[in-house]
Amino acid sequence: MSLTLNKISKSFKDDVVLDDLSLEVPTGKTLVLFGPSGAGKTVLLRLIAGVIEPDVGDIIIGGCNMEGVEPEDRGIGMAFQNFALFPHLSALDNIASPLAARRQDKSNIQSGVEKLARLLKIDHVLGHKPKELSNGQKQRTALARALAGEPRILLLDDPLRNVDAKLRFEMRLELPRLIKHQHATVIYVTQDYKEAMAFGDEIAVVNRGRIQQVGTPEDVYLSPANMDIAQLFGDPVINLLEVTPQMGPNGLHALVSDQPLALPTSDASIAGRSCVLGLRPEALHFVDAGAPGAIPVTVETETPLNEKTITLAMTARGREVMLSRPAGTPGPTTGPAHIAINHQVTLLFDAESQALIPSNDLGTAGKVA
Amino acid sequence: MSAHMLEIRKVDKFYGPIDRGVHAVKDVSLSVKRGDIIALLGSSGCGKTSTLRMIAGFEEVSRGSISIAGREVHMLPPVKRNVAMAFEGYSLYPTVTVRDNIAFALKSSGKGAADIAQNVAEVAEMLEITDILDRYPMSISGGQQQRASLARALIRAADLYLLDEPMGQLEPQLRTLLRGRIKYYIKERGLTAILVTHDQTEANALADKIAVMEDGEMQQYASPEKIKEAPANLFTGTFVGEPPMNVFPAKAAVSDNALVFTLQDGSNLSFPRAAFADELQGHITGLDEITLGVRPYAVRRQVDGAFARVLANQWLGDQTHISAEFAGGELVLVEHDRVELAEGDAISVHLNAGDLHIFDPQTGRAISHGASLVA
Repeated sequence: MSLTLNKISKSFKDDVVLDDLSLEVPTGKTLVLFGPSGAGKTVLLRLIAGVIEPDVGDIIIGGCNMEGVEPEDRGIGMAFQNFALFPHLSALDNIASPLAARRQDKSNIQSGVEKLARLLKIDHVLGHKPKELSNGQKQRTALARALAGEPRILLLDDPLRNVDAKLRFEMRLELPRLIKHQHATVIYVTQDYKEAMAFGDEIAVVNRGRIQQVGTPEDVYLSPANMDIAQLFGDPVINLLEVTPQMGPNGLHALVSDQPLALPTSDASIAGRSCVLGLRPEALHFVDAGAPGAIPVTVETETPLNEKTITLAMTARGREVMLSRPAGTPGPTTGPAHIAINHQVTLLFDAESQALIPSNDLGTAGKVA
Repeated sequence: MSAHMLEIRKVDKFYGPIDRGVHAVKDVSLSVKRGDIIALLGSSGCGKTSTLRMIAGFEEVSRGSISIAGREVHMLPPVKRNVAMAFEGYSLYPTVTVRDNIAFALKSSGKGAADIAQNVAEVAEMLEITDILDRYPMSISGGQQQRASLARALIRAADLYLLDEPMGQLEPQLRTLLRGRIKYYIKERGLTAILVTHDQTEANALADKIAVMEDGEMQQYASPEKIKEAPANLFTGTFVGEPPMNVFPAKAAVSDNALVFTLQDGSNLSFPRAAFADELQGHITGLDEITLGVRPYAVRRQVDGAFARVLANQWLGDQTHISAEFAGGELVLVEHDRVELAEGDAISVHLNAGDLHIFDPQTGRAISHGASLVA
């Protein structure tokens, strides 16, 4: 079932939570709602579920307008970050609860639940009450319950938020596949950019009740619509340097620590305008002093980060930059060094509007090798 | 003067009567070199926070002794220990501004007002709190409070800096940058710091040495590199490192010139015998079962390797995580480029003998890392 939100607005008293928001999720696809807390993500889920009504706008599921349709008749399954299991019921009965409500045949229910439980690796704890389950098992139980009703639409509100790092990693690799196999249309809310990139066929970046960008993980990472989004995706955060583009014999360039850098656009009108150059830490690398475009820096410190080595360095002009390289590859740990910029993966933003200045050849950057 | 800024000798902590109460910290000994950053790493209830609180003087030491800068301190009250702290619950004074909270730490230092203002400005800039210096603690976010509290600790002159989960609440975009700046600040000044964290990423990023704790016991105390290359046991091996180490039950046998590991599904991983010390071969072939571990980054896609089938391929911008069905279990690989693989694709994976970690499944202890037996 496809899901369409058409020009939705919702206010609570004077507080505009959602402002003229439209979204479309094709059947069987996963849309991630990504944004800071208070962005309106949870309100949006509650609107889709039918727990609250929009002030303006339509919610359309499988071609049918949901206005006036009760939550239980919308064909929606939900799981939340706080698990919300019935404490007096076993894991099995919790999972079966949406099926029992539909008066399904008992043996059908049993086999359906067992199949899901095996898939989610909780088949050995089906007899346990929630308090006897680990957080990870609770989360899987809640998820199994959401899936048990074979919902057409699945709403997942930051389901991995309260689980420990190791389990979160495991579930991040595993969940998208489980969900895909259910053929449900999914809305997945998260504040973790890695989850957003791993889960989303598309990601909608939401802030202050508005959608700032909708796109594939590639779109959002390689062509973020604005500086905010560029900073929300990627760890370490993207380096932002103020530059003023200049027109030269070889086209547009900017000076970074006195070194000319080709810019990713041929839009001559930006010459002389205040811009911000976005350099992902992996777009910077150490070079020998004599290498073309080498920029002198002082390496301050090195902090390993999940199979990467992050270096904090300072340019001669006092600009702080972070570099990232695969762990185990050589690089200076402290003192003077030189870096170069991979000009094919730079981003350029307008300093005033903070919007991305479109690149000439979208799609070159980060292409599969 | 002792080369060690902190020495913890055979310390136990019991909540309740000694030997009968809850044994929260068990016979922990630890020496910290002047100028080092140490992380006490473990999950909740492992004893790391109790250990830190004993160093600070907020908890009594049940048994053993603690010295700081060569002075026995475990009988002294916190204020006499000359330690600076950023603790949860050791909160900012709500009635004064963030600026005064930070500056207050320097009041007794004998510094002039101009010097103090300069120091506050520097540390505030480092921690990105310059714009909230004149706000009151209640009006700023949890992440900002945490940074203010960190600033207050780092600005002081002390023998030892005790930081309890100092970055747990920080905004994710700031975390890596601030880790770098804080590490630089500490190193530049030659400070000695003890950091408590449940987050192995934070421990790896900041620490010269990590003390991995579990169930009140210190599992291993070594540099991040050493813990990665030679984890003392299965707990340490799988706790430190993201993605976590891949582990498989296996049985080792020798045939002709090969050392063969038979995995859960009956498939074999075969290595030249020359790649392993004789005594190691003797030891592991004598065991009914071993646990084979390999770090995700050490697994390479390469022709003529073992068969695996892709379950997931997730590109995260600067890194790709692949999980694959392998030998009846699941194998995780990390690559730094984007790769074009879909669920169901067959891949060939290669494990180097030198990257294998072998554990005893009975005790969890490491038997070998690469070619040779653990001493």
